[in-house]
Amino acid sequence: MKKVIIHPERCVGCLQCMLACAVAHSASRNLVGALQEEPRPRPRIHVGVTPSGRGFPNRCRHCDPAPCMAACLPGAIFRDPTTATVLIDPDRCIACASCAMACPFGVLRFHPTFQAPPGKEVAVKCDNCDQRQAQGLPPACVEACLTRALTFEEPDQALKRQTDRISRLVLEAVPYAEDLPASLSLLRALKQATAEMNRR
Amino acid sequence: MPAYLVIGNGIAGINALEAIRSLDPRSPLTLIAEEDFPPYSRPLISLVLEGALPPERLPIRPPDFYRRLGVRALVGQRVVELDPKAARVRTDRGEQVAYDRLLIASGAHPRTVEAPGHQLAGIFCLRTQAQVQAMRAHLPGVKRAVVLGGGLVGFKAAYALLRQGIAVTMLIRSPHPLSQQVDPEAGALIRRELERHGLEVRVGVEVSAFLGSKAVEAVELSDGERLACQMVVVGKGVRPAVDFLPPEAVRTDSGILVDQHLQTSLEGVYAAGDVAQARDLVRGQPWVNAIWPVAAEQGMIAGANLAGRPVVYRGSLGRNVIRIFTLDLMTAGLVNPPRQDDYQVLTHRDPRRGTYRRLVLHRQRLVGMVLLGRVEQGGVLLALIQRGLPLEVDPQRLLEPTFNFASLLP
Ligand SMILES: Cc1cc2nc3c(=O)[nH]c(=O)nc-3n(C[C@H](O)[C@H](O)[C@H](O)COP(=O)(O)OP(=O)(O)OC[C@H]3O[C@@H](n4cnc5c(N)ncnc54)[C@H](O)[C@@H]3O)c2cc1C
Ligand code: SF4
Repeated sequence: MKKVIIHPERCVGCLQCMLACAVAHSASRNLVGALQEEPRPRPRIHVGVTPSGRGFPNRCRHCDPAPCMAACLPGAIFRDPTTATVLIDPDRCIACASCAMACPFGVLRFHPTFQAPPGKEVAVKCDNCDQRQAQGLPPACVEACLTRALTFEEPDQALKRQTDRISRLVLEAVPYAEDLPASLSLLRALKQATAEMNRR
Repeated sequence: MPAYLVIGNGIAGINALEAIRSLDPRSPLTLIAEEDFPPYSRPLISLVLEGALPPERLPIRPPDFYRRLGVRALVGQRVVELDPKAARVRTDRGEQVAYDRLLIASGAHPRTVEAPGHQLAGIFCLRTQAQVQAMRAHLPGVKRAVVLGGGLVGFKAAYALLRQGIAVTMLIRSPHPLSQQVDPEAGALIRRELERHGLEVRVGVEVSAFLGSKAVEAVELSDGERLACQMVVVGKGVRPAVDFLPPEAVRTDSGILVDQHLQTSLEGVYAAGDVAQARDLVRGQPWVNAIWPVAAEQGMIAGANLAGRPVVYRGSLGRNVIRIFTLDLMTAGLVNPPRQDDYQVLTHRDPRRGTYRRLVLHRQRLVGMVLLGRVEQGGVLLALIQRGLPLEVDPQRLLEPTFNFASLLP
């Protein structure tokens, strides 16, 4: 299943993801409408600043097992069996903040939303844009990110890409040893040639 | 096929039943539980007292929970005797149940006050939904209530009554409520917030008698004064529910002592939740942390171990998050450390934002925290306490009101 993957090294801190997220979680689902809504739509992805001044987009990881789910006093947090997304039922939530105490990433916020009973403060976090996904759209934050600091893909693929990237970096930095047996250098030449052909 | 037995249907017992069944779908599994209400969220009963939550919202599992899970549920029965040699228990209805593996998840009972007149109507403990129903029935006509004790439950009872416009007098030993959870400075802020909403705090006095004909009409204090009141809530802490254990049968201290698999000193007998005393993560010694998330976690892990999958419990950590009118409080770990050189205490006050933060460090490791106001990022700090590794960032950063997960990155 595809997941949102964060690449902090690409984040420039433009906050476009936050804006898009707030709009995606408004009643009107467009910027102009969202700006006039009450309660004010708010983002569920939070770009923090690291000590060296870089941006870090922080959102719910939908952990399994999810510590917030085990800590929730009224059992308001549940996992959607079809999408594996961790969701909060605003009608059951009592805004006790037990989930915020359990979340090691600090992704929970407390405020009214248009989906919650009117005037009630509830726990709010990322819902993976499951509604957009049902229409074949990627999560709003991913769509908004121009630098591809947020991607929506199969975790296996993303991991493989990262492994390849690191291997490449290491190989470029550390050249092959000179004193390998002749048979191995033959094998190496063969592999290089294959890789060369694959690239074309 | 081992026969499993679980005593208690609190969150520890319920989570254990589910964990056992997820690993062992077929073996006989019996539950004995005194409360016949469906499994419910105990912390929420103070919201029912407040009138903020209808009682039918208390259950956290569906009505057919036991049947669906294939559990033989003996509810409304109390275990009165455990015979470890015969591996068998007996209930107050005379039912005998044998087991191969047993989980004791019987929780805790509130401590009572034995002063003269303690059997009068209108004097309550706050532990079960049945007690809350009785309290609600007694509420009409109550103008002033007296709460004995300022721990978590005394505090919650007082808060629930204040929210309904009832005047509350709280009798406590330390100068502020929640003295186990917070340091004196935060305690003073909490006390002020409660007093703003009508709480009266009396320090250093005890109740010497309850007065009244049928129902309580006043309490007499140890200094001779009389306080008129129509309700008393006893919040004097809890004791582990171990009445059915023969003396010396299992090792106990303030609770039933358990090892890293939550097994007691008896082979095949485990304990979890408020009744159990496991290693405390920051104190490094066995400690009872009688809170919901600890009971929930221990229940799951004990259940797995019962069913034969060895899972190690790393240790418990005291923690609480409480919303007091407009003030939010989150605390964890050691907040009042022993006076020793190797502890370091950092504090930060931001009157403009209305926040107060206190962090306790021990040899570069975070071991305790108190946050007043802006508690959303508290979980990030709590994770640092639980991890128990030396901090890689300047601890001053953790105090800043803008602290968040990104602050921990390079
Ligand atoms: C008013 C109130 C507010 C609270 N608020 C919070 C909060 O905000 N946050 C938090 O973390 N914690 C809170 N707690 C604490 C929390 O509720 C407990 O830590 C938790 O419920 C413990 O679960 P347990 O399963 O170990 O025990 P319990 O919930 O006590 O369940 C044990 C069950 O076993 C039964 N039993 C006992 N003896 C026997 C016997 N001999 N035979 C058969 N059955 C027996 C009991 O009747 C009971 O139903 C609060 C508690 C109270 C009372
Ligand atoms: S704030 Fe809401 S979702 Fe979070 S733990 Fe409390 S009740 Fe559950």
